[in-house]
Amino acid sequence: MADITAAAPRRRARRLNLRLWLPLLWLGAVALAAIFAPLVAPQDPLMQDLMLERLPPAFMDGSEPGYWLGTDSLGRDVLSRMIHGARIALFVSLVAATATCLFGAALGLVAGYFGGWWDRVISRLVDIWMAFPPVLFAVLLVAVIGTGLTSVIAAIALIDWTRFARVIRAETMVQARMDYVDSARIGGARRLTTLISEILPNVLPSIIALLMLEMGIAVIVEAILSFVNLSISSDDPTWGSMIAEGRNAIHFAWWVLLFPLIALFLTVLSFSTLGEGLKQRFDPVLQ
Amino acid sequence: MTGSHTHPNTLDVMQLGIALPNGHRLLRDVSLSLRPGEVRALVGESGAGKSMIGKAVLGILPQNLRVTGGEILLEGQHLGAMTPWTRRKTVAQSAALIPQDPLTALNPARRIGPQITDPLVRIHGWSRAKARDTALALLDRVHIRDPKRVMESYPHELSGGMRQRVLIAAAFAPSPRLIVADEPTTALDVTVQKQILRLIRELQQETGTAVLFVTHDMGVVAKISQKVTVLFAGKVMEDAPTERIFTDPAHPYTRALIAATPSYADLDRPFSPVPQTLIAELQGAIARDDARHQGAAR
Repeated sequence: MADITAAAPRRRARRLNLRLWLPLLWLGAVALAAIFAPLVAPQDPLMQDLMLERLPPAFMDGSEPGYWLGTDSLGRDVLSRMIHGARIALFVSLVAATATCLFGAALGLVAGYFGGWWDRVISRLVDIWMAFPPVLFAVLLVAVIGTGLTSVIAAIALIDWTRFARVIRAETMVQARMDYVDSARIGGARRLTTLISEILPNVLPSIIALLMLEMGIAVIVEAILSFVNLSISSDDPTWGSMIAEGRNAIHFAWWVLLFPLIALFLTVLSFSTLGEGLKQRFDPVLQ
Repeated sequence: MTGSHTHPNTLDVMQLGIALPNGHRLLRDVSLSLRPGEVRALVGESGAGKSMIGKAVLGILPQNLRVTGGEILLEGQHLGAMTPWTRRKTVAQSAALIPQDPLTALNPARRIGPQITDPLVRIHGWSRAKARDTALALLDRVHIRDPKRVMESYPHELSGGMRQRVLIAAAFAPSPRLIVADEPTTALDVTVQKQILRLIRELQQETGTAVLFVTHDMGVVAKISQKVTVLFAGKVMEDAPTERIFTDPAHPYTRALIAATPSYADLDRPFSPVPQTLIAELQGAIARDDARHQGAAR
């Protein structure tokens, strides 16, 4: 432990960190598109026009101007639907991941530092919880409490808090054995104060990395639930429902499936890469 | 107890016993006392339980250890009779630690400044400004150049020696009556060791703080302490003034420890490890003692 710190290099001249900036660029673009969706989207995402069904993207023969990524089987503009779908994807990922993180990390910190009965109860709860297959659990939950954005968010938080609880508990236990915790206690710090002001800052980089990962996961879960029609009403465009619809037309209109899929892939990848980048950026020892 | 009635001893450890959950005894009826301003060295091999005494006093024993008996008095107050939070405050008000490993004893995620000033504000009720001034003055006193910059630094930006100086400053900052120095030079290289040792001695003499100095190095004992407690397998072998330990050691184990200490001043002086026969003999005596102890408990 000690040697790692001693061997840590002095602050290097910071070069442009691509792991940080590429994901930020993509997520920034998606976020801007989502916020200003009505202004940015070239078409009305809900407007059907059977004269314009299955138009190919702009770079192919037979495309129409104004329909950059083509249209689906009902003649709706794919790009516009993706842009509006980004709103739901980002909203769900932000709210669900934050809720999951707050709940799971708090339990992990308490279990890892207070130990004893706290740890036993929380750890058993995590074990039991993890015995459920997650996607089935989510589908079941939404089926029971009904479809809609709130249920999707609740489902994600209820399933994934265990990930935070487990990882943060383990990290907290490592930190709790450090001498600086003893020093704080000798200096008259209460247990809760020690946990929040001494241990939490050292666990924070991991929490941030997990939070980013969770945002990516939330995007996926939302897409899965939309795919099986358990998210919001199927009229509203979501990436998951677009993928589901595109699946039927894959042989003659692959763009309806592919472009939302790429957006989903890049967004999830960006979140997890950004998480790692931020972890390195905020860890004073790794810096 | 040797302290006068008007001024209680800074520290009295009486018949302290500590054991693992399986009943294995780590400390066996250890007693020692420190008068105000006194430096007592606690020597013994690694595993003898030296550090554990300091940890028991400061209330940072690992959770799985049990205190099986005895009492600790800090400035005449029974720590064992207190509620956990009262005990925590009492210890924070009158005692401090200079830890063994300066690399892990500072929080890597926090700047140095608040790590020194937090207890001053929290327990002693000082203003932030007063705590900061005290910390700056002490950092200067422990020969840290540019204390203002160091206060703003993170621990990983400082060398091991610098960090130990910071920790010494932090220990002396609240003007404690007792400092537990837990092998404060062990993790440092030899040239830095001497400076750190001198610094602790100077500050101890200036402030008149009593110090419980845990070490395995008889050379350090001679330099810093007035009293010595020799510990073997959690049992006190000898308790005597420092000069007597070196001129006229009463216990064969003490003699063996001194003979096992290499001298940097005189490299030709022969030294030999503590003989295995002596260790076996002592362990046998302790095992018989434990057996009798268990018999009595039944």
